[in-house]
Amino acid sequence: MNSANSTSQDQFSSDSLTDVSKNELPPKVAALSPTEWLKANLFSNTFNSILTVISTAAILLIIRGLLSFIFNPLRQWSATATNMRLLMTQAYPEHQYARIWVSLGFLLFLTGISLAFWRAGRSVQLSQVGKRLLALGAFILLATLLAPFSNKATIIWLIIGIFIVGIGFLLKPSHEDKTVSSLTLLSGAFLLAILSLWVIPYGHHSYLSTRTPKILAEPGTVAMTTKLPWTIMFVVAMCSYFLGSFIREKIDETRSKAVLSATWLISPLFLLFLVLRDPDFDTGHLLSTDIPIFLFFSIVGSVLLLWLTRPDIGEKGRVISAAILFVGFATFLFQMLMIVRILTLVLAFFALAAPTFSGQKPARIRYTKVWIASMVILCWLITAINTPSTAKVPGDFFIGGFAITLMIFFFTMVLAFPLGVLLALARTSKFPIFRIISTTFIEFIRGVPLITILIFFSVMVPLFLPDGMDLTEIAAVTIAFIIFEAAYLAENVRGGLQSVTRGQHEAAEAVGMTNAQKTFFIVLPQALRVAIPPMVGQIIATFKETGLLAIIGIFDFLYIARSVIPGQTQYMGSTRENLLFVSLVYLVICFAMSKASQRVEKRVGLGER
Amino acid sequence: MTSKFVKLLAVALTIGVVAAACGSDEEEAPAAAPATTAAAATAQVEMVADGSLLDTVQARGTLHCGVSGSAVAFSETQADGSVTGFDADYCRAVAAAVLGDANAVKFTALTASERFTAVQSGDVDVLMRNTTWTQSRDTDVGMDFGPTTYYDGQQLMGRASDGFTANSGAADLEGAVVCTNAGTTTEKNVSEYAKLAGVNIELKTFETSDEYWQGFIDGACDISTTDGSALVGRKVKQQPADEEWVIFPATPISKEPLGPTYGQNDSKWADAINWTVYATIIADEYGVNQSNVGAGSSYEGELQRLLGGDGELQTTMGLSADAFHQVIKQVGNYSDIYNRNLNPVGLYRDGSANAGWKDGGLIYAPPAR
Repeated sequence: MNSANSTSQDQFSSDSLTDVSKNELPPKVAALSPTEWLKANLFSNTFNSILTVISTAAILLIIRGLLSFIFNPLRQWSATATNMRLLMTQAYPEHQYARIWVSLGFLLFLTGISLAFWRAGRSVQLSQVGKRLLALGAFILLATLLAPFSNKATIIWLIIGIFIVGIGFLLKPSHEDKTVSSLTLLSGAFLLAILSLWVIPYGHHSYLSTRTPKILAEPGTVAMTTKLPWTIMFVVAMCSYFLGSFIREKIDETRSKAVLSATWLISPLFLLFLVLRDPDFDTGHLLSTDIPIFLFFSIVGSVLLLWLTRPDIGEKGRVISAAILFVGFATFLFQMLMIVRILTLVLAFFALAAPTFSGQKPARIRYTKVWIASMVILCWLITAINTPSTAKVPGDFFIGGFAITLMIFFFTMVLAFPLGVLLALARTSKFPIFRIISTTFIEFIRGVPLITILIFFSVMVPLFLPDGMDLTEIAAVTIAFIIFEAAYLAENVRGGLQSVTRGQHEAAEAVGMTNAQKTFFIVLPQALRVAIPPMVGQIIATFKETGLLAIIGIFDFLYIARSVIPGQTQYMGSTRENLLFVSLVYLVICFAMSKASQRVEKRVGLGER
Repeated sequence: MTSKFVKLLAVALTIGVVAAACGSDEEEAPAAAPATTAAAATAQVEMVADGSLLDTVQARGTLHCGVSGSAVAFSETQADGSVTGFDADYCRAVAAAVLGDANAVKFTALTASERFTAVQSGDVDVLMRNTTWTQSRDTDVGMDFGPTTYYDGQQLMGRASDGFTANSGAADLEGAVVCTNAGTTTEKNVSEYAKLAGVNIELKTFETSDEYWQGFIDGACDISTTDGSALVGRKVKQQPADEEWVIFPATPISKEPLGPTYGQNDSKWADAINWTVYATIIADEYGVNQSNVGAGSSYEGELQRLLGGDGELQTTMGLSADAFHQVIKQVGNYSDIYNRNLNPVGLYRDGSANAGWKDGGLIYAPPAR
C-alpha cells in the first residue's frame, strides 16, 4: 500500500506545477522540551495561565459529568441496544432482513473496489500513530480516574489505558521513513470493533413483548443477527479491496473508473427498488405496456437524436424540437399514461439540447447512448415506483429509522443539485422571464423556515391533491426538502458563476461557442469548482436538517429515539440515552463528510490554482 | 437574437396547434385503451367510496388505522416494529369485525396535529389515537366520535416530601412549578384550575412527555400534570425507591373521554365501529372472554344474537354474522383488552371510571336486540 500511495503522489505532482513545492521538505523546527512547550503554549502570561487553569477545570468537570451520566447504573442503555433494529430500519420484516444486508454488502463491495482503484488512503508515519495512541491512552487513564467506576472496572480500564500508552511508547521513536497506510489503521480499528462484538458482553440485548415473547440473544451477549452479518460485511469489504488492487493493474483503469462511478450513481436506485422494496411486477402489464413504450422511445428517440445532432441540421432541428416540446405539454390535456407524457417531455429537452452536442459521429453516438441510458433509468424508476411492494410493514412505508434519514438525504442531494444549478443559471440568465421566476422562487423559499415548508407538505398538500392522486408523506417531504435545498444550492452556484471572469466568457465566444456550449463546457466547470466548499457545507447542513422530520411525526432516526422508544412500557424515561446515541451517529457521519470534503478541495486544487 | 427567438416561438406554436388539431383524434385512442397507472388504479378503489367507507374497507381488505405509535400502553411501537396497546387492540377489533382478520390492519402513526387531516384526506379510516371527545372536534373539525373506551381525566402529581397528599387541592399549589407537555389542552386546563382557585403557579412546558418527566424526576418541577392514566404509569415505572409520589385531586380537574374517531356523515361505517366497541363491552358483562367464547348458537338471548346465532343483526349492518364472535375470539372482550395493556402500567378497572356500570363505573353498552 505504501507503493500505491507514492504513485498517487507522483500523479498529483505531475498534474500541477505548484505541487513541486510539496516535494521540498520544510525546514526542521527544533522540538521543545515539555516544560518549554507548556510555558510557550499554556502559561505564557498571567492572563493565559488563569485561562488555562479555568478551562482545564471546566473540561475535567464536563468529562466527569458525562462519564457519570453514561455509566450510571440507572441508565437504560438496553433501551437503545434492544431497539437497534427499530432505530435503523423501523419495522422492516425480519425474514426479509437479508435484503438489507445484501444492499449494504454490495455498497461495501463497491467501496472496497473504489478505494483500491482510486488508491485512497495516505501514509501515516508510525511515530505519529504512536503520538496519537499516547494521547488516547492518557485520556483513557485520566477518564478512568475521574469516572465513578467500581474497583474492578477501574482496574480493567486502567490496564487498557496502560496497554495503549505502552504501544504508543513503542511506536513513538520509530524512524520517519516507517509509515503505514491510513486504510490499514482504519480496517484495524474496524476489525477490533467487530471482534469485540463476539467477545465483550455489551449488555442485555433481548426484548420481551407480552404478545410475542421472543428473546433475540442470551442476556449479556450480542445477538447472532447482529454480529454475524457485520463480520461478513467486514470480510466482504476487505476481500473487495484486495480484489480491486489485484485487477486494477490488469484492465484499462480510466474506463473501469468511469464504470465504477456510474455504478455508484445508479446502484442506490436499483438496490432501493429491487432489493429493499421488492416490487411485485405484473409481468403481463410489463410485456404489454412498459417494455414496448421503452423500446419505442429508445429507438425512435435515438434515430431522431442522431439526425438532430448533425452539424448541418440548422434551423429545421430547432423547429422540430420545439414541436416535440409542444406535443409534450399537450399530452397533459388528454388522458394517457403518465410515463408517455414524461418521456415525451424528456425527449423534447434532449432534442432542444441536441445542437450543443452536435459534431462528428463519435460525439453523436455518445449523445444517443446517454439518451438510451436515461430511458433505462427513467422507465425503470417509473415502473418500480408504480408497482406495489411485497415488503409489507405495519407502518406507512417499507422502511424507516436511520434508513429513511439516509434515503431522504440521498434523493434530496441527487435531485436538488441539478435543480439548484438550473435555478442559478436561470437567475443569471439574460431573459427577464427566467430571471424573475428563478429569483422569486429562490427568495420565497429562502424566506420561509424549512419546518414551515415541511409542515405544509405533510399536512396541507394531501388535502390539495385532486381525487385519485396519491402522494405518500415520505414523497411529499422529500419534495419539500428538494425545493428548499435547491434554492440554497442555487445561491452557492450563483456565487461560483460570478467568480468566472469576463475573459473566460469572451474567450469562449471568440472560438465560436454557442451560449449553451459556453455554459456547459467553460463556465459551469469553473463555477462549480469554486462553489465546492459552500456546497459541502450545505450538504452537511441538509443531513442534519433531516432531524426536523421528527417534528412532523415521520418515523426517522430522531423521532424513534425521542418519542417512540420512550413510549414503550419497558423503556419509559430513556430519552436521554437514545438522544446521546443519535447525536453520536450524527457526529461521526458529519465529521466524516467534512473530512471527505477537505480531501475533495485539495484534489481540485482550490485555493492553490 | 431576440427577434430570432420570437420567430422561432411563433413557428413552434403554429406547428404545435396544427399538430394538436390533427392529432386530437389519434390521441383519443390511448385514452380508450386500458391506460392504468397506479394513480388510476387507486381512483378505481376510491370510486366505491360513493357508498360507505365500510364497503371501501371491505373491498380493500385492510383497515387503515391511525394511532399515536408512541403512547405508553395505548399504542406502543415495539422493537420489531409491531404496534401494541389498548388503542391498537381496538384497531384489531374493528378489523376482526369488518374483515374477519384481526391482523388485517395497516397502522399509521400520526402526530396530534396531523390526525384529523389524515381522516379527511382518506389516509386512515378510523382514529384510535387517544383523542378526547370535545364539542369543537365533533362539530367544527368535522369528526364523529364513537363510544368512549377509556374515561380519563387530568390530575396532578407531587412529592409527599413537599407536603402533598392525596387530598391536596388547588390551594396547595401556591408558587409551585408545574410541568406538562407543550401545545396540549392539559396546559390550558391547569392554568384555568389555578386561576379559579386564585393561586399563582409557574408553568413549564416541554416538547415530549418523557422530557418533562425527566424534569420532574430531576427536581426542576414540583408538580407534573397530565392525564391520570399516564401519571399512574409513570409512578409505577419511574418512582425512585426513596421518594413517594402522590396523585391528586381525587376528582380529576378535566374530563377526557377517549374513543374511536371517524369522519362525519357515514352512519354505516360509524355503526360498524360503535357496535364493535359495544360487543366487547356486552361480552364482558356476560363474562364471555377470549378463552371461553363459543359459537353464537351455543348461547341464549342477547349473546346468541350478538355472537352470530339465531336472530343475529350483523348481516343487516353489512358485516358477516359471526363478526363479533371473531372480535371476542381474536382480540378479546373489554376486560381482556384493558387488563392486557393497562395492568402492566398499574391501571386497574376496579373502582375506576372504567369499571362496568354494574360495578359503579361508566362503561355501558346499549342492548343488542
